[in-house]
Amino acid sequence: MDTLKVRDARDVEEVVRTAIASEQPLEIIGHGTKRQIGHPMATNAVLDLSALNAVSAYEPNELIITVQAGAPLADVQSLIDSKNQHFAFEPMDTSVLLGAAGNGTIGGMIGAGLAGPRRIKAGGARDHLLGAHAVSGFGDSFKTGGRVVKNVTGYDLCKLLAGSWGTLAVMTEVTLKVMPKPESERTLMLSGLDDVTANRAMTAALGSPYDVSGAAHLPGSVFGSATGALKRLGAAGRALTLLRLEGIAASVADRAGSLGNALAAFGAVEMLQDDASSSIWAEVRDVEPFAASGARGLWPVWRIVCPPASGGALGQALARGSQGDVIYDWGGGLIWAAVPPQPDALAGPVRREVEAAGGHATLIRAPEEIRRNVEVFHPQAGGLAALGQRVRHSFDPKIILNRGRMLLMTAT
Amino acid sequence: MAIMMPAADQAVLNRRDAIVAALRAIVPGEGVIDSAAEMLPYESDGLMAYRQPPMVVVLPDTTEQVSKVLKYCFEQGIKVVPRGSGTSLSGGALPLADGVLLGLGKFKRIREIDFDNRVVVTEPGVTNLAISQAVAHAGFYYAPDPSSQIACSIGGNVAENSGGVHCLKYGMTTNNVLGCEIVLMSGEILRIGGKAAENSGYDLMGIITGSEGLLGVITEITVRILQKPETARALMVGFAEVEAAGECVARIIGNGIIPGGMEMMDKPAIHAAEAFVHAGYPLDVEALLIIELDGPSVEVDELIKRVEAIAQGCGSTTCQISTSEAERNLFWAGRKAAFPAVGRISPDYLCMDGTIPRGALPKALARIRDLSAKYDLRVANVFHAGDGNLHPLILYDANQPGEIERAEAFGADILRACVEFGGVLTGEHGVGIEKRDLMPEMFSEVDLNQQQRLKCAFDAQGLLNPGKVFPTLHRCAELGRMHVHAGKLAFPDLPRF
Repeated sequence: MDTLKVRDARDVEEVVRTAIASEQPLEIIGHGTKRQIGHPMATNAVLDLSALNAVSAYEPNELIITVQAGAPLADVQSLIDSKNQHFAFEPMDTSVLLGAAGNGTIGGMIGAGLAGPRRIKAGGARDHLLGAHAVSGFGDSFKTGGRVVKNVTGYDLCKLLAGSWGTLAVMTEVTLKVMPKPESERTLMLSGLDDVTANRAMTAALGSPYDVSGAAHLPGSVFGSATGALKRLGAAGRALTLLRLEGIAASVADRAGSLGNALAAFGAVEMLQDDASSSIWAEVRDVEPFAASGARGLWPVWRIVCPPASGGALGQALARGSQGDVIYDWGGGLIWAAVPPQPDALAGPVRREVEAAGGHATLIRAPEEIRRNVEVFHPQAGGLAALGQRVRHSFDPKIILNRGRMLLMTAT
Repeated sequence: MAIMMPAADQAVLNRRDAIVAALRAIVPGEGVIDSAAEMLPYESDGLMAYRQPPMVVVLPDTTEQVSKVLKYCFEQGIKVVPRGSGTSLSGGALPLADGVLLGLGKFKRIREIDFDNRVVVTEPGVTNLAISQAVAHAGFYYAPDPSSQIACSIGGNVAENSGGVHCLKYGMTTNNVLGCEIVLMSGEILRIGGKAAENSGYDLMGIITGSEGLLGVITEITVRILQKPETARALMVGFAEVEAAGECVARIIGNGIIPGGMEMMDKPAIHAAEAFVHAGYPLDVEALLIIELDGPSVEVDELIKRVEAIAQGCGSTTCQISTSEAERNLFWAGRKAAFPAVGRISPDYLCMDGTIPRGALPKALARIRDLSAKYDLRVANVFHAGDGNLHPLILYDANQPGEIERAEAFGADILRACVEFGGVLTGEHGVGIEKRDLMPEMFSEVDLNQQQRLKCAFDAQGLLNPGKVFPTLHRCAELGRMHVHAGKLAFPDLPRF
């Protein structure tokens, strides 16, 4: 395995051009913390962006930050935290689930596009990427977007780059929206609800005017594998439904009262304040009960995105059918399903159920031998798959970048 | 016409009768319009300085018809220009002399309202406002609110990625759409996304939104709806200097407050609006901010106090706070009528649409003032100040020889200044034909080629809405060619796979 550690965007162009000339696919990494996501790649050359780690410009009053793609996410987060700002889409720390060292780089965060609980209110990574400089599979540096939020100049290529897992272009620098952190937060907690009823409670909360910024449900069985704040919270082994409110203190208190009343039919409401609230949402975001180091660490994990109101029924069916565990976020619109080890991670039945509910499923964690044989990303219907491939070729016609990561390569 | 459109294909024009007959076979009855008089309403959109009758107008009313029309045009090599309500301010729906104008006006049905999933599934010809009205009884609304929302279609909103006053807090169209049914130029019908928060695969919905009708024709859209905030109140704050108003905007945002809307008007705009709607605007200020806070009333009351203190700290000279819905609406009346108000004090005006970093507001205003003197044309400024989106209105008289050219040159200089100050050519109106030839101010040839390659993935023959967005059209085969990069390579020893 050869690793090419680039120093600047020009180096990236050179590496990609050389790779094109020699038909050598490249694996693109920052810190490499998400290499376990996707199919094992057909290459022995790694383009390492970790030295492109500068913060180019941080302008708190403009609510933007421009950073090189290899900048460590943790460093950038503590920088913006010093100005009481954050990435509102709550990027997930995948190291908990994957057992990797650290939560990687800014480029990895955008390429993976894994947003946390606040996605229901603030949008995803794609909604916070304002501009990018990148090197395409033609070996050309291009830019897209800009450094302002309101911009419709040309195609919005940022949307494609976010969540493309490095298969379209090598991002070298990105401009991201940052937002003021909420002054306070509270979590309303219902207990003992079954998945479908909990889904209804979350639907009621999200359909209320109380500006809910997190809506998760943890069935009682998942607390056995939790180790942190969720373990303490779920010590009784009863299911917990969590609803988060954020904002200025007076507003949060007012809305908490109103929302509690609106949910009275679902049982008694308990309240968690500030730190007690924020620590559990970090664990929901990172799916801590399925942590690599925990009791479910060897189980394959599916990340399922579906219409939120059908999440409860879908998750319940998946948990029963697989004898596994599920955790709901996004009011039911995101389901994490851990299934007992099987050679195919139950891909067939899981995807059948998920498709019937109008969703799609990504095998976010599985041993390498499973990822060699099972489609990690949800297979698309013919016309859509073909368009996706044409889009890919329009950036990278020789499939130099992360070849084989998103689409299972059939033996040739 | 200063903007050159692709040359008309005489061979296509010679076949006009046969083409009309073929289209009538697909869309029967009155769905095909070919008489010059009846095509008149379609010859321009909201950018009225540019007019061009199309070869023929087709108004299908089913996805299948759209598919057949496109397939026919694809096979026959005929250009197609899609159109919604025709309110584009950048000429996105300007017809082509040898092109079919494909109007989606008959797609007027809301297909499904799903309160549990908080989405509306709608046909593209439904107006923006009609969506909010359809869900209002349950307390919901559709957040993006372009000022043309009574007339503009949701399909056009997706094509242009429309914004509006409230997008500062609630996002633009792209942040509020989840899925669509789209017909490609080949006639192929695809469904992208749906009621889930994210699509599988690449974010194609994200790229289709704001693609200005160049990638496909949308026949169904799934949009997110939100619960209406419990209350909204507005402050109307006057400043003796534009710089102080700019500073106030920066400090409000810097203090972590994201208002529902934050608008600025300069003196000429204030005077024009006040003379038109009598909203009670102060006439002795250089800049007026309208700042709206929305949410639960305890929150709004608290934020009003904070914003008032910030404004005072910035030297505000007047400050009124709305105490009723009627008063809040009155504050907005002048701002919402600013364009027609300016229309009363000048025979014609050009509405520009650049975005700058908020901090560059005073600098940009000073530049616009200088340019106004240079071109000897008046200008009134209204801004979505919260997100730095400028709408300078350049006043001119089309009957005076040379004035429109001067006005356009003035506008181009403003947009160049926006790019120079770190901003962009268009914040919400789109590139269309209006800003097409300015694209190189912001993008290199490499940047634009990458965008056009993406177009090729959807429309390899370049038949859908050609002549818009891109200043130079390239053939897809040419764009797809790999460059042979000569010279020494820094990594000659890259391992072979």
